Amino acid sequence: MLAFTSIDTLIIRSTGLVVAMFSGLVASGPFMRKGLADIKLVFLGALPILLGGFLGSFAAVKLSQHLGETGDSIVRLTLGLLLAAIAVIFVLGGASTEYPQARTKSRLATKLKLRHMYWEETLQKPVKYNAKNVKIAVFLLFAVGVTGGFFGLGGGWAVVPVLNLVMSVPLKVSAATSGVLLAMGNSAAIWPYINIGALIGVVAAPWMLGQIIGGIVGAHILSSIKAAFVRKLLIFMLLLTSFKLFSRGLEGLFNISIPMI
Amino acid sequence: MPIQKKPPIPISGVIYGEFIYWCTCISAIIVVFGTIKSFIEGSSDIPVEQLLDAVFAGQSADTIWASLPIGSTPNALTYLSLLNTGEAITVLGICLGVLSVGPAIFLSAAFMWRSKNKFFAITALFSGIFALVAPFVFFLT
Repeated sequence: MLAFTSIDTLIIRSTGLVVAMFSGLVASGPFMRKGLADIKLVFLGALPILLGGFLGSFAAVKLSQHLGETGDSIVRLTLGLLLAAIAVIFVLGGASTEYPQARTKSRLATKLKLRHMYWEETLQKPVKYNAKNVKIAVFLLFAVGVTGGFFGLGGGWAVVPVLNLVMSVPLKVSAATSGVLLAMGNSAAIWPYINIGALIGVVAAPWMLGQIIGGIVGAHILSSIKAAFVRKLLIFMLLLTSFKLFSRGLEGLFNISIPMI
Repeated sequence: MPIQKKPPIPISGVIYGEFIYWCTCISAIIVVFGTIKSFIEGSSDIPVEQLLDAVFAGQSADTIWASLPIGSTPNALTYLSLLNTGEAITVLGICLGVLSVGPAIFLSAAFMWRSKNKFFAITALFSGIFALVAPFVFFLT
């Protein structure tokens, strides 16, 4: 919505949080039932994401009161760059990101028993994994919470790289766990927006209901599609959105019109 | 080739997922009801046509609310006093879904504790408390 409409950014960000949150909330059921989301990883990241999300949305509300339309353009530009950078990381990571193997054992992860396995439908076998880099991941999840709350994204798009690239959790488990985590994080991040009247129910409702249906369908599809396809789809969506955000940001900052966008 | 067995699924996760799933479904029904009411109600403190026109014109939240009969920007408590309007019911439905996270975490934490995952049970407990306290922080400041 930030990329494709001219609605006030605070309203868009609150709508974005609700939309992302309800998709994650409704998908939590199927993800947990299928064993795709890892509840230990969820509770490891819950507090940093909740705290970060709350602080991020609080900062967004305060900053928008001071920066106005220039602030909106800066938000769009920064977010565009951020999404492009994540897409590049997934491209460079290649197929090794689908089922990563932790080469070294993490003492903290071993102590917390952060090892699990899930049933991989496409391979018809269980896939084992050991998490690593717990401390770095907790710090990054806090940063993701702040960013997600600030931009109204929920942060799921960044939780996947943290779990997958930093903690060596398989891509599908990362995607499912991030869905559950982002729903949790947004549940705190939404309140600053509600308290300044930036959540317009009739605007959020159609998006939210569509996302609920999409969340249920997506959760069922995720278990049966190949991890490589998930990665390619993620890269495509990240690049497309970042391109649009970047151009809208430039249009706003320099008062120019970029054709065909 | 040996037959591979599916790994067991932690009950604490299933409990969390199911609780959230059904609360979300209930909140979605309330949201649908609220949205329909918004469009069919005659006069209201929050007229939906005027609200949508202002939103799509790109006005800020403060400007939008100031131009409506309600006159000032609502917060979570204001919505509770406006539950006769479709917009407030829609927001209530959304809030129900949001608030379901706290109890779901507590339920899951209890099962985590029983399955001897005490560290995660405690972190879950703190997360649940934060999720429930978050809505009230702004009434204190």
